[in-house]
Amino acid sequence: MSALTLDKPPAPAEAPSRHRDTARLLRIVLRRLGIALFVLLCTATVSFFLVRLSGDPVKILLPPDATAHQESVLRASLGLDRPLLTQYLDYLWGLPRLDLGDSLVYGQPVSKILADRLPATIELAAAALAVTLVIAIPAGIFAAMRRGRRSDHTVMTGVLLGQSTPPFWVGILLILVFAVWLQALPASGYGTFANLVLPAVTLAVYSVAVVARLLRSSLIDVLSSDHIRSARAKGFGPLKVVLRHGLRNASLPVVTVIGLEVGNLLGGAILTERVFSWPGVGQLTVEAISNRDFPLVQATVLFFAATFVVVNLLVDLSYSFLDPRVRTSR
Amino acid sequence: MERIHQGRTVDRGRPTRRGVLRTGGLLLGALSAPALLSACGTNAAADGAGNVLRVSQPGDPKTLDPQKQGDMVSMNVLINMFDTLTTRGRDNQLHPRLALSWKATDARTWRFALRPGVTFHNGEACDARAVAFSIERLLDPATKSPIVELRYVKGVTVVDRLTVDVHTTVHDPILPAKLSLFGGVILPPRHLAEAGDAAFAEHPVGTGPFTFVSWRRDHELRMRAYADHWNGRPSVDGLVFSPAPNASSSLAALQSGGVDLVAGLTPDAAQQLDGYSGVTLDGYTGIRTSYLSLNTLERGPLQDRRVRQALNHAIDVPLLIKAVLGGKATETPALVPRGAFGFDPTVKPFTRSLETARTLLAEAGHPHGFSTTLTASNVDSNVAEALSGLLARAGVRARVNLLDPGTYAARLTSDNRGALGPIYLAASTVWTMDGQSIVQSNVRSDRRQSRWHSKEADRLIDIEELSESPTKRKEAFSDLQRLMREEAPFVFLYQLDNIFARNDRPRWTPGSAGVLAMESAEVS
Repeated sequence: MSALTLDKPPAPAEAPSRHRDTARLLRIVLRRLGIALFVLLCTATVSFFLVRLSGDPVKILLPPDATAHQESVLRASLGLDRPLLTQYLDYLWGLPRLDLGDSLVYGQPVSKILADRLPATIELAAAALAVTLVIAIPAGIFAAMRRGRRSDHTVMTGVLLGQSTPPFWVGILLILVFAVWLQALPASGYGTFANLVLPAVTLAVYSVAVVARLLRSSLIDVLSSDHIRSARAKGFGPLKVVLRHGLRNASLPVVTVIGLEVGNLLGGAILTERVFSWPGVGQLTVEAISNRDFPLVQATVLFFAATFVVVNLLVDLSYSFLDPRVRTSR
Repeated sequence: MERIHQGRTVDRGRPTRRGVLRTGGLLLGALSAPALLSACGTNAAADGAGNVLRVSQPGDPKTLDPQKQGDMVSMNVLINMFDTLTTRGRDNQLHPRLALSWKATDARTWRFALRPGVTFHNGEACDARAVAFSIERLLDPATKSPIVELRYVKGVTVVDRLTVDVHTTVHDPILPAKLSLFGGVILPPRHLAEAGDAAFAEHPVGTGPFTFVSWRRDHELRMRAYADHWNGRPSVDGLVFSPAPNASSSLAALQSGGVDLVAGLTPDAAQQLDGYSGVTLDGYTGIRTSYLSLNTLERGPLQDRRVRQALNHAIDVPLLIKAVLGGKATETPALVPRGAFGFDPTVKPFTRSLETARTLLAEAGHPHGFSTTLTASNVDSNVAEALSGLLARAGVRARVNLLDPGTYAARLTSDNRGALGPIYLAASTVWTMDGQSIVQSNVRSDRRQSRWHSKEADRLIDIEELSESPTKRKEAFSDLQRLMREEAPFVFLYQLDNIFARNDRPRWTPGSAGVLAMESAEVS
């Protein structure tokens, strides 16, 4: 999660100055960027060495009847016989130029393979986000308004169940019901809207729980505050009160968590994509790992790390913007 | 606060409800429209083609450069866009393809006479230069080819426009067979020089019966019939390959008409598809051959021939086939599968008898059996567990050790011959249809997976690998199999069927190797 490390609160004695605010904001942004780059460098390093512990890719690339000579020729032509440090520096050298090397299995530049797979993953994440919002917001509002009653418990139990069920299991269950029994939706594949439904729902289940629970608790906090009471006193209906006055005030933490969920949806698609054979980055990651495709594994790991880092960065920065201590020095 | 109980307005309030219904309606509409489209739209595919055959297999090709792949899934797709020099017919004999005839002109030279008038999809002529270029490209380390069969080939010379000589370091009697699939694909030299490797892999150009149209990785690969193919235009206008990783998605695709033919089914998956309306299962004897390798080099019970024979008696292969593989396999009496050159029908399988097994074990000094380990790749977990159960009935307690396929492969080819333990389950696809392919790496004592050393076996292997006379080779294979039947350095198991599921549209018969060459397919 994003650690909210703000600079020291500004000295209140000084007169407001737009210039100083901008400078402070810039400092925060630069520091965050520095940390983000450092995190990515660490990820790149760890993934580079970890993936090489998994074994020799040549053993998988070649059939069992290959001779030792054929193996060493291939190893040399793939550059895997060079010293580890040379390979590592080579890898780092390519990173800033987005040159992630060539895939050992597909023979294409890794960056191109990733770019080919990215749209499917983004599509799935966007659909899952839509599903999340469509379900979680009404559920959160409903539960908050009925808090403590049976309907609240029912909704929240359902949500909690969703949060504690592993996605691959949800996916298999959905396939069983909608594809095998009802034959209403395709079990896997890509291309039509119908293909998108089950994976998007599967991926959304966890996020629905996170968003709905947070929305419920922040709404409950807001609803017990004074200005809501005055709104009620004006004779607004309960739903109107919630929508008009409650949501606006409860939304900040919810928007934040939705931002973080975007990262989760992009990065959490590995199992879901696998179950539905969705041709995205998640599926690619699994293939790359089982093929010991070093450059490709490194790239996918880096991609997921970058997703999280960027999302956290945006969330943190939006906090800095939204935080009154930064926005205006009182 | 909590006294406002107009719960109804929330619970069943008009706006919410109407909203729900509206979204529901939208969803349903959105769902049904593409479904309808995909149901009727697929066959009138956008290739401008009339009748399209849609084939699915467990995976997607790794690359469309035929010399940079070495797996059956990729080859199954590529064989439709590229021609090889030779081909295996359904009679298991070698037939001409781009080569009309071939003969060994001396011990280290095979001469191929090429078919005249063949053109690549881009119009480039396919001649001796193209053949020489293709084989040399395959052997060039810069190509990073995972294809290893041409290990004895050292060069190619162009004799004239339609004749090439392939030179080897030793006599390679099955070189023509090795040129019937992976190693024998012919590529257009001029086009490759102009387009470069990367562009070629994006849009492959061959001489095959179908031309490349489009590929969306992990989704579908489209081809169109090549009207100028030397063997005439194929019967289907379009061919679509798609990956279907599991049985339930295959079933759904078959029933919705999204796929006509599902290939590469495991016996497990086939059982899941069995009995559904509109789905026909076809099984053909295949050549993927499974066996247990026994380590006779390390001290232990397996050094005793009687123990090894006992294991063969104890493992009831027909029962295993019936119980675990749904009957979709054939018992193999020796290492060489039925249909491959060198198979000897007079070699009979071991009698399956626990009594005999126990007697042999007792004679060898193990009246109460012994404990051991059976290692397998986790894709074969069902078979491995069943084998362990069958052995247990004779008193042999084999603990099953399952490895991920990558680790398994690495240990199989490591220099430590005991890396996979005393007993491991292995399988080999003998696509050359020659016994040499399955024997070569795990019998002769200098080979990497050999765990039984016999001077006599080495002598027989040298004959079958190097002799120029097919009769001599056949005899050597027979002698070798009889010797191995006696010495039992392996537990001989079965050859798996090639299993296909289809709807009622396609008419097509595969060869023994189960390669998805769809040139001869028809659809109604």
